[in-house]
Amino acid sequence: MRSHVGANQADGHEDELLGKAYDSRLVARLWEATRAYRRVVLVSAFLFFPIAALELLQPYLLKVAIDSHILRADWGGLTGVAGVFLLTLAGLYALRALQSYLMQLTGQRIMHDLRHRLFAHAQKMDAAFFDKNPVGRLMTRILNDVEAVSDMFGSGVVAILGDLVTVAGVVAVMLAMNWRLALVTFALVPVLAVSAAYFRGQARDAYRGLRTRLARLNAFLQENLQGMTVIQLFCREGAEQRAFVALNSDYRRAQFRSTVYDASLYAVVEAIGSAAVALLLWYGGGQIWEGVLTFGGLVAFIEYTNRFFLPIRDLGAKYAVMQAAMASSERIFGLLDLEPGIRSGAAAARSEAPPIIEFKNVWFAYEGDEWVLSDCSFRVAAGERVALVGITGAGKTTIARLLNRSYEVARGKVLVGGLDVSEWDLTALRRRVGLVPQDVFLFTGSVEANLRLAADGAVRRDALERAAAVANARGFIESLPEGFGYEIKERGANLSQGQRQLLAIARALVYNPAVLVLDEATSSVDPESEALIQDAMERLLEGRTSLVIAHRLSTVQRADRVLVLHRGRVSEEGTHAELLRRGGLYSRLYELQCGR
Amino acid sequence: MPERLLLQHLRPYAGRYALGCGFLALASLCALAIPWMVKRAIEALEAGSAAGELQGYVAIILALAAAHGLVRLGSRFAILGGGQAVEFDLRNTLYGHLQKLSLGFYQTHRTGDLMSRASNDLSAVKLLVGFGALSLMATTITFVGTLVAMLAIDPRLTLYAMAPYPLLILLAKRFNSTVHRQSQAVQEQLGALSAQAHENLTGMTVVRAYTMEAGELRHFQRLNAEYLARSLRLARTQAAFSPLLGLIAGIGTLTILWIGGAAVAEKRITLGSFVAFNAYLAHLAWPTIALGWTLSIVRRGLAAMGRIAEILSVEPEFRDAADAVEIAPHVRNAAIEFRNLSFAYEGRGPALRNVTLTIPAGSTLAVVGPTGSGKSTLGALVPRLIDPPPGTLFIGGRDVRGIRLESLRRAVGYVPQDPFLFSRSLRENLALADDAADGKRLAEVARVAGLAEEIEGFLHGWETVVGERGLTVSGGQRQRAALARALLADPPILILDDAFANVDAAKEMEILHALSQVLRGRTTLIITHRLKAAREADWIVVLGEGRIVEQGPHDALIERGGLYARLWRIQQLEEEISRA
Ligand SMILES: Nc1ncnc2c1ncn2[C@@H]1O[C@H](COP(=O)(O)OP(=O)(O)OP(=O)(O)O)[C@@H](O)[C@H]1O
Ligand SMILES: Nc1ncnc2c1ncn2[C@@H]1O[C@H](COP(=O)(O)OP(=O)(O)OP(=O)(O)O)[C@@H](O)[C@H]1O
Ligand SMILES: [Mg+2]
Ligand SMILES: [Mg+2]
Repeated sequence: MRSHVGANQADGHEDELLGKAYDSRLVARLWEATRAYRRVVLVSAFLFFPIAALELLQPYLLKVAIDSHILRADWGGLTGVAGVFLLTLAGLYALRALQSYLMQLTGQRIMHDLRHRLFAHAQKMDAAFFDKNPVGRLMTRILNDVEAVSDMFGSGVVAILGDLVTVAGVVAVMLAMNWRLALVTFALVPVLAVSAAYFRGQARDAYRGLRTRLARLNAFLQENLQGMTVIQLFCREGAEQRAFVALNSDYRRAQFRSTVYDASLYAVVEAIGSAAVALLLWYGGGQIWEGVLTFGGLVAFIEYTNRFFLPIRDLGAKYAVMQAAMASSERIFGLLDLEPGIRSGAAAARSEAPPIIEFKNVWFAYEGDEWVLSDCSFRVAAGERVALVGITGAGKTTIARLLNRSYEVARGKVLVGGLDVSEWDLTALRRRVGLVPQDVFLFTGSVEANLRLAADGAVRRDALERAAAVANARGFIESLPEGFGYEIKERGANLSQGQRQLLAIARALVYNPAVLVLDEATSSVDPESEALIQDAMERLLEGRTSLVIAHRLSTVQRADRVLVLHRGRVSEEGTHAELLRRGGLYSRLYELQCGR
Repeated sequence: MPERLLLQHLRPYAGRYALGCGFLALASLCALAIPWMVKRAIEALEAGSAAGELQGYVAIILALAAAHGLVRLGSRFAILGGGQAVEFDLRNTLYGHLQKLSLGFYQTHRTGDLMSRASNDLSAVKLLVGFGALSLMATTITFVGTLVAMLAIDPRLTLYAMAPYPLLILLAKRFNSTVHRQSQAVQEQLGALSAQAHENLTGMTVVRAYTMEAGELRHFQRLNAEYLARSLRLARTQAAFSPLLGLIAGIGTLTILWIGGAAVAEKRITLGSFVAFNAYLAHLAWPTIALGWTLSIVRRGLAAMGRIAEILSVEPEFRDAADAVEIAPHVRNAAIEFRNLSFAYEGRGPALRNVTLTIPAGSTLAVVGPTGSGKSTLGALVPRLIDPPPGTLFIGGRDVRGIRLESLRRAVGYVPQDPFLFSRSLRENLALADDAADGKRLAEVARVAGLAEEIEGFLHGWETVVGERGLTVSGGQRQRAALARALLADPPILILDDAFANVDAAKEMEILHALSQVLRGRTTLIITHRLKAAREADWIVVLGEGRIVEQGPHDALIERGGLYARLWRIQQLEEEISRA
């Protein structure tokens, strides 16, 4: 296996978590999920009894018709039986229609609820979670797994219950009618049980393989769709197609294996059903000679035998539905059970004044003890404007992420407004600390919607325009075909990189936070626009605490103070001039950039 | 169109399907023969003939049952296997086709939507060509076979039993179109739902930073509720229709019970015939009941195929002309020439206007200019990520449209402004251009890109997996990885689109220094906002609103006192201020 499947392999492993078709713990939780619809579930389950009764009545009516009326040429009686038969048909139609709808209703509602819960849960998860769980996997939970669970309610578990009721009814009626003949039919049940157990076990393994391979295939596809340009630029179409075909044929093989067992089970059960009819004829024929059995009885028995085997034959398919549902619900609940690594505190902002920011001996690592920050301490006074510089990979973005508590520190404290971020109510904290991330992400939708984001209707249009003007974005927005109504494509694909950044800045200004963190917010903007933005922001940043991360020292020098991040801690700090005089890392960086 | 495309993919497996059909016919024959044998057995019982005769029938039934199982198995292997083969081919075709589509296509189609076509829709098609086909064929064969058998027993009874079926066909038609409409509405809503979820999850950084969670959840909930409403509408239709088929089949049985029973009473037919007739009707019941299901599979499958065909019918924007030529990977004369080139994105004003420009082989050109002035557009035209109009862009004196696309792209190393890494290991990401590249070569390009030390420092070194889209490495690391992977191909032409925006100045200088050796003899186009980097170039072009507003070497441009000089002054001034 090529190692690039690495990240998705986890998904594969997770999808291999597939075992029983029945797991009491999971069933209990699913039962819990039906709480609001329990009455509907119970009614649709209860409907099986009248349905089974009516179904069982039909062969019996046939027997009565043959024995009491047809063989005695009793036309009137036959008409009466036919009338009753018609009633059973009408009743069956009504009951089945009702039941089918109720089952769908439950299934769809549960799907709706689970989707809601999953999506809501994802909104609460922290950044570390998203580092580990690719979007494709989460999408599978929300789309496919949820559907598998709903299928169980729509056709799996409930139908199995129904089948059980039918089979039990058939057995009871057959035993009551003629227990000897009934036992002859049941003689084949052990054969059935053994072959069913064998094929089912095999089918389960096959199904497990199938799921894993499908997950791999889709993960591969999703990523390659996103990186298609790179594939084309590097002329990798051939190599990637080969890898894809390999995954695809793996999948196809697994699928065929699964088909083999399913089909075999089906064929065997059907053959056994026919064999049972043969046995009935053989033994029942004898009984007719002996006068123990009537012709009508024999015919009814043949009918009952068919109805006995039919649900058993289809059990394979329903079993697969159950199994898929169990596996899916395990994954769904697994996700829902994951507590967000970051829990919100309760403190709200205490005043509107710009807060102080402070890092106290912060240690942080994304993974194990690969420390990105080690004993990092610094302080930004209220209303102060501080620049953060450092070589690439030094951990600047990481500091920004810790400030709005996207990740949790390992040791030490991050304080905003004198309060540990872990004590803050998360929403309140993030309302106070606005972040322009290094990777600009725009949503599909209009420019206006992208500027508003969470603000909805609360922000007036002219405020948007003002923010756009400060970010120097107004000019280009107004030159777009529909101005503020221009539809942005996925990830902002139909704008230039710099334009995306300008929008991201404007959006932060609309958000209007007390602390503004700009992470290389103007890295792709031309110097002139940048200078214009700087000037315009000058006023805006007044009365706000701000942290500006930048590589361009021209951006940095307007700051009140500069922090230099090196080897996981702030190694130098002071005003631009002080740092230059000191002749440390900063002055070296600066000299290099100024080319002297 | 979708039907034709489907047939085209079915054709290679015509033999398989024919075989499956044959098996199905045999299976049907066996299935029909069993009630016939039962009929004969009961007639023998009625006549009170010898036990031996009865046992004979029993033996035949057993044999038929075994044979039935076997051919049934054969039919499933043949047809379901065939369906899987069609799915396999179709998936490969689809992927292969997607690989041919250009940037423009990917900018107008959301990944979530494409994924839903390539997975959900494809499954629906598989169902159509597998179970759907099986069920359709089986239904047809069973109907014909059963009808013949019933006619053989008693034509008049058959007529009565069949009376409700025309009604059935009528109903099925109605149902069919309703379900089609409703399930399309459901699929559409699912698409909208999944697109929103997908976007929300990919943009989680922003969602979090701007406390959008509640609003996003509300939005999702609206889509989710609409999906529920649409699904329930469909469920109501299905609930009303599916049991109706059972009802109609049951009415057939009822007719036989009543009229056929009378016929037995009048001794026009035997009891055995009556029983067999009933059994045959029961045979019809199952395919009839399943008909609703089969029809919805067919409908959904065809609708899905339509959505797939939509993609397959998108003509790849770039096709090599028949007379397209190769340019050797190490072309000597890799001069790039723009001749009066204008370009506009769809629905937008021109991004480039009348650009005329020559980059002599082996020289370096810097492109600077304000945000949105068309620099990236200019760069993306060279490897034909977007297509220049004919006769406007020449490499080595040849119109790029006449160069084989693959050979063109091998000749051009392109470092995009917003690089994408695969969630594979760093090694694999850097070795994209050449899977077989050895460690030494990889280390060399990593060194030039200034990435070597950091990779060594990572816990898993070269095997570090970079996370989705490369988001678990820093912005600068991602950019340098993109540079390194472009260098690995050793291309004669190199395009760097703002490749150091997220790299600190010291590192940039270091890289530029290392690059200057590597760049010798290559034709290079550097797009940048840092004029310090532009200054070193042989020639500088300043773009403004898609036009070349100035060009020349650094000193000349400074002297000229235009836009470049102004930009330069801004950067200088800031340095001055800060030094003061
Ligand atoms: N999500 C993540 N998971 C694991 N490692 C990460 C993650 N994000 C960053 N890193 C690693 O942490 C280190 C610091 O990264 P960070 O993004 O904070 O650097 P930076 O100073 O912002 O760099 P740049 O200037 O290039 O943006 C880098 O070595 C990077 O590879
Ligand atoms: N795919 C697209 N569809 C429509 N318009 C586009 C597309 N890509 C770019 N544009 C528009 O074309 C113009 C030129 O964009 P381009 O990306 O070439 O600018 P740029 O000079 O590279 O800017 P930057 O310095 O911000 O990277 C911009 O106005 C942009 O909005
Ligand atoms: Mg960063
Ligand atoms: Mg650009």
